[in-house]
Amino acid sequence: MFSSKKILSTVTILGILSVVGLVFYSFSLTTDKIDYNRDVKPIINKKCISCHGGVKKQGGFSFLFEEEAKAQLKSGAFAIIPFKPNQSEIITRITSADEDERMPYKHDALSKSEIKIFTDWIKQGAKWGIHWSYIPVKSPEIPAEKSPWINNDIDRYILKKLKSENVNTSDQASPPVLARRVALDIVGFQVKDQMISQFIADPSDKNYESLLDSLLSSEHYGEKWTSMWLDLARYADTKGYEKDDNRSIWRYKNWLIKAFNADRPYNQFLTEQLAGDLLPNATDDQYLATAFHRNTMTNDEGGTDNEEFRTAAVIDRVNTTWETLMGTTFACVQCHAHPYDPIKHDEYYKFLAFFNNTRDVDTPEEYPWLRHFKPEHKPKLDSLSSYLISKTTPSEVESIIRFIKSYAPSYFSMECDSLENSALVDTKWLAMRTPSSARLPHAGFNNFPKMIINFRAYSKTGTVHFRLDHKHGPEIATLSWNEPTNGWNKKELDIIPVQGRHDLHILFESNSITHPDHTGVMIDWMHFSNPFPDEKTKEGIKYKNDFWTLLNAPAEYTPIMYENPEYMARTTRVFERGNWLVKSDTVTANTPTVFLPMNKDQPKNRLGLSSWITSPDHPLTARVLVNRIWEQLWGTGLVETLEDFGSQGAAPQNQELLDYLAYSFVHNHQWSIKRLIKEIMMSAAYRQDSKLTPELKEKDVFNRFYARGPRVRLSAEQLRDQALAACDLIDSLYEGSPVMPYQPEGVWQSPYNGKKWRKSEGKNQYRRAVYTFWKRTSAFPSMTNFDATGREVCLSRRIRTNTPLQALTLLNDSTYIDLAGVLSSKCNEASPESAIACIYKNIAAKDIDELRLQILRKLYYESMSTYMIREGKIAEAKTNSLNLVTSAILNLDEVITKS
Amino acid sequence: MKSSQLHHLKQSILQEQTRRHFIKGSFLGLGGLAMGAMLNGCKIKSDSGGESGSNAFELKPPHFNPRAKSVIYLHMAGAPSQLELFDYKPELIKMDGQLCPPSIIEGKKFAFIRGVPKMLGTTAKFKQHGQSGAWISNYLPHLQTIADELCIIKSVSTDQFNHAPAQLLMHTGSARLGRPSIGAWATYGLGSENQNLPGFVVLTSGGNNPDAGKSAWGSGFLPSVYQGVQCRSEGDPVLFLQDPHAVSRDLRHASIEAINHINQAEYAANQDPETQSRIQQYELAYRMQISVPEVMNINEEPKYIHDMYGTQPGKSSFANNALLARKLVENGVRYVQLFDWGWDTHGNVAEGSIDVGLVNKCREIDKATTALILDLKQRGLLEDTLVIWGGEFGRTPMSENRDGVQNAFKGRDHHAEAFTIFMAGGGIRKGYTYGETDEIGYSIVNGRVNPHDIQAIILNQLGFDHEKLTYEFQGRPFRLTDVEGKVIKELIS
Repeated sequence: MFSSKKILSTVTILGILSVVGLVFYSFSLTTDKIDYNRDVKPIINKKCISCHGGVKKQGGFSFLFEEEAKAQLKSGAFAIIPFKPNQSEIITRITSADEDERMPYKHDALSKSEIKIFTDWIKQGAKWGIHWSYIPVKSPEIPAEKSPWINNDIDRYILKKLKSENVNTSDQASPPVLARRVALDIVGFQVKDQMISQFIADPSDKNYESLLDSLLSSEHYGEKWTSMWLDLARYADTKGYEKDDNRSIWRYKNWLIKAFNADRPYNQFLTEQLAGDLLPNATDDQYLATAFHRNTMTNDEGGTDNEEFRTAAVIDRVNTTWETLMGTTFACVQCHAHPYDPIKHDEYYKFLAFFNNTRDVDTPEEYPWLRHFKPEHKPKLDSLSSYLISKTTPSEVESIIRFIKSYAPSYFSMECDSLENSALVDTKWLAMRTPSSARLPHAGFNNFPKMIINFRAYSKTGTVHFRLDHKHGPEIATLSWNEPTNGWNKKELDIIPVQGRHDLHILFESNSITHPDHTGVMIDWMHFSNPFPDEKTKEGIKYKNDFWTLLNAPAEYTPIMYENPEYMARTTRVFERGNWLVKSDTVTANTPTVFLPMNKDQPKNRLGLSSWITSPDHPLTARVLVNRIWEQLWGTGLVETLEDFGSQGAAPQNQELLDYLAYSFVHNHQWSIKRLIKEIMMSAAYRQDSKLTPELKEKDVFNRFYARGPRVRLSAEQLRDQALAACDLIDSLYEGSPVMPYQPEGVWQSPYNGKKWRKSEGKNQYRRAVYTFWKRTSAFPSMTNFDATGREVCLSRRIRTNTPLQALTLLNDSTYIDLAGVLSSKCNEASPESAIACIYKNIAAKDIDELRLQILRKLYYESMSTYMIREGKIAEAKTNSLNLVTSAILNLDEVITKS
Repeated sequence: MKSSQLHHLKQSILQEQTRRHFIKGSFLGLGGLAMGAMLNGCKIKSDSGGESGSNAFELKPPHFNPRAKSVIYLHMAGAPSQLELFDYKPELIKMDGQLCPPSIIEGKKFAFIRGVPKMLGTTAKFKQHGQSGAWISNYLPHLQTIADELCIIKSVSTDQFNHAPAQLLMHTGSARLGRPSIGAWATYGLGSENQNLPGFVVLTSGGNNPDAGKSAWGSGFLPSVYQGVQCRSEGDPVLFLQDPHAVSRDLRHASIEAINHINQAEYAANQDPETQSRIQQYELAYRMQISVPEVMNINEEPKYIHDMYGTQPGKSSFANNALLARKLVENGVRYVQLFDWGWDTHGNVAEGSIDVGLVNKCREIDKATTALILDLKQRGLLEDTLVIWGGEFGRTPMSENRDGVQNAFKGRDHHAEAFTIFMAGGGIRKGYTYGETDEIGYSIVNGRVNPHDIQAIILNQLGFDHEKLTYEFQGRPFRLTDVEGKVIKELIS
């Protein structure tokens, strides 16, 4: 394999050299039009930008932005004077004979052709160019290719490329192979249903299309594509970091499955995840979608600075948004201007400002929540809503109901400082001895007359005084008690209404505490509000009772995004060199200027941002998504670097095709992912045989021209699901809390965390891979061996590996041993040969051929003789032997590969 | 002797030879199947540069002549107290019990100390040892005897004072998740000497994984083949290594032969290089099933070795892991990472205190660490093996007063500003103490060494310029030492 790769790369290099040679040759005769992106930028990125770019600006010169590159240098000269190469300092410097003068400094000189490119480019006016992926997608001109092979427009682009490369297309794959391919791609496992057999019997276009339609409408589709999204969303069932305790966020996964199944248009799909909470009359489901960005990690390690990890989560939201939705590596802009792409340092923080105003602050409870009430509480919630609607304004109704469901907006005691004889216990909750004080700095007030506080009183009696601006300032609220509370307790206090920003000083004293070290009270959160409507009337008293019942009702919850109201808003400042402790200028939310501007009518918050990201003119969003879908189906993206569409990413293999797909996705398919998938699958290109012919092996071993069908090892999820499907164990629940399938003993060992892997019982032992409990610091080993990761941060692309640990997993993981047993027992045939054929067909979704049957039969009989000699029990020997054969089949290349 | 017996004997001899070949890294294959590069097939480069097709663990030359072939990194997770073990501070002992001068703690952040804590002098007994006169306390009596083998660095400082981020910084060069660990970089850069064993092995003891979890030995953005393989002293030494109960070696051989036979037919039909690579992976898996349990089995070691290390076969312990580390290095494993959990001595509980817990932890590792260095030396392996011992940060000269209250036992808080590690072998200067802290051990007075410097030294000993061992990711070349790191020449012999 490798010699052929080497040959290929040699051929490519020779090809490039000869092209360069030709270009140079042609330049010396006539001067061709130089294109900044194609010709100049690659030289800059390779030879110049590490000293003259976003990180360093040696001699005050940077190539990153046009205005910088064409500005006057420290020396007074100009690096680039359009049309005048002889007066441009860069030409003088790259051609200088003096080693100390010549650029690149202390490196090899540029080649003659490179110098000529610079010279000609300046001579032609030094026209700057915008990187291809920053230019909005234009309405495409579809190639006029004609051929009976062509099935849709995708084929025209592919055929055009193949003709230019002088490569032939492949035949259509055999019906069973094609049926297995589409099933693996759409629902994630091979399907045994009538549509499949109908297509195999009569592989007509019509039957093929019906097969696609039927698979696309299967609810298993949502499970398959959710698996892809979970890597992007860095979804996990634990919080990460040292303790890595459990997190309940699986309902977000359910939301994804349903959204994929409903084919929620991608623009809406993104808007709900980025800003569902800000949509007008947001539903609980839309709040749930925002859990997308609550998949950041929470640090429960004692002694950690909560603001540091709140900031880390916000930064992660920024980086994830750029990398997964817009294919841009934004993380480097945290410390300085982007080293290669024209994005400025402060633009990072302007963008960060969009995400810096949510109420979450690294609390161990992961507030704010969407609380999921039990069915018995739902009628109470409905009647309370009706009552409130009849009594107060819609926005007040929303505030009260949302507070019941989220406990937001609240200040958290862990935001306190100036602790005197008080402490943040384990850096989590404010705990106070007597007498003691603490300060909630810069709290936002809004003239509310009520405060609801979540606290825990340990001392028999005690009083907490809330004072404004100073320890001796006016007392605006008082909390006192005459007996300790039974655990955490919520209470409403009267508070003197104040407006604006104030420090709130919290002072505690008690004369019932005997030991100076004893904690008298702990505080969790404080919520300011209006009085309950008509709370003094009989009706009001009843409903306020219901309000309290609901507030205290035990309920599961999901962490969600909750925007600070105006009076609690955070300001965002630039971090010097990315250090969160060193803050400089204050910035307001905005998008980087290299891209289209935000629509003026849109608010400068996450909702406005979503509308910007999903604008049909956004140059990246649709391109990145269609590329991702393409990669799922073909194994490699049209842009290989799914995570980087910038100038350091891979150039697109076929930009015309990519742009066509992006345009078509937005304008023809109206952001429908199902329709996009169907269009790709309907192409003749996708339906080709995946065999590598000698011709293709020489010209295109990696299938970049698409002259053959996709051939890729199955993903970790597909492997498990395929084995389950072969055993008819795929269920139709489509949702549910995470399950714990078999995992070897002793894999989980997080410090300070008593959590155990408890094997799920019954049917839950056999759920699809997407439902497997995901622990960040110790991800499911059977799947990580197949390139799944802990999902600490988003993962745009799994790099496919091929290792002995994969062989060991499929051979020896109890899951696969167990499933092999199930499968053998299903094929209870008269002869071993027919049993082997039956098992093979169940797994490989095609009939076994003579050679394979012979090899497996031999294995069967070798095994029989071993067991008979060892045990002498024929029934057991038969079972064991058939299990061994089944296990071998589960390990075959043709079974673990989508061909 | 009957002919069948003779045949049987020949078979056994052959099997034994084959086994030894596996262990020593010979490429003896199964029944004439295609052999070649091992562990390959992964597309090594992740970025636009296309795939490099060579075997991921193929031996690769470093930048210059290496001083060490292998590394054994002994990490005491939780951070041992330098003030009880190496950094002798008589002034601090005099100040014991006094309130901490405010000048020391003003503007400083601690994990748990609040208000004004008291100074805490050590009760450990210090003496100078060896010709080098290295200060080592009576907590480590065995280590005292090999003082002249060690290079003790008393001036390490970090900028992280919580366990997980500090451990990540120490092993991946970044306090945040997502970067490759030192072992991943080392195997990425050098490949592995033994193609039948993983190139980067991790062993843990103390009952828990380190706080940073598996990310401390992750491959980050490097291909996942370079992540550390956690070997276990209980259960399967490598997950899924053991065949099911009913499957004998012969049958495993037969089944892999059948799989590969069919895969060859598949390759003949489809010509996919990945298929060919998969055939090799199955052969390698078969060989690993023999070589890994063999190397992980310490039962066969002679009694004097067990006595030397204090090992008890079958138990999970630091001593067992230390012996395993020697065996792994002896068999060509490039990077062996040990984590021993339980060194966090705040003083809030007995096992987490400097007067009880630390003494016990030292007992668990002192003899075995000393034995490891002596054992490597007697086998002539020490000169090619760099051994590093240390934690992720140090402990404060002040007593911990968690949440403002004096703790029940003697304890010290996390201290990022100064701590001690030591190195031995692998071309490192022997019998040498580097760096100095102030008279109470709070700040470094001279010779500051940060985690990136330690990483630069490790790479240097392996033959790499740490600034040049890079990997293109997210549009820029990344390196282990980020934008820092210096090789401190005084530490090298």
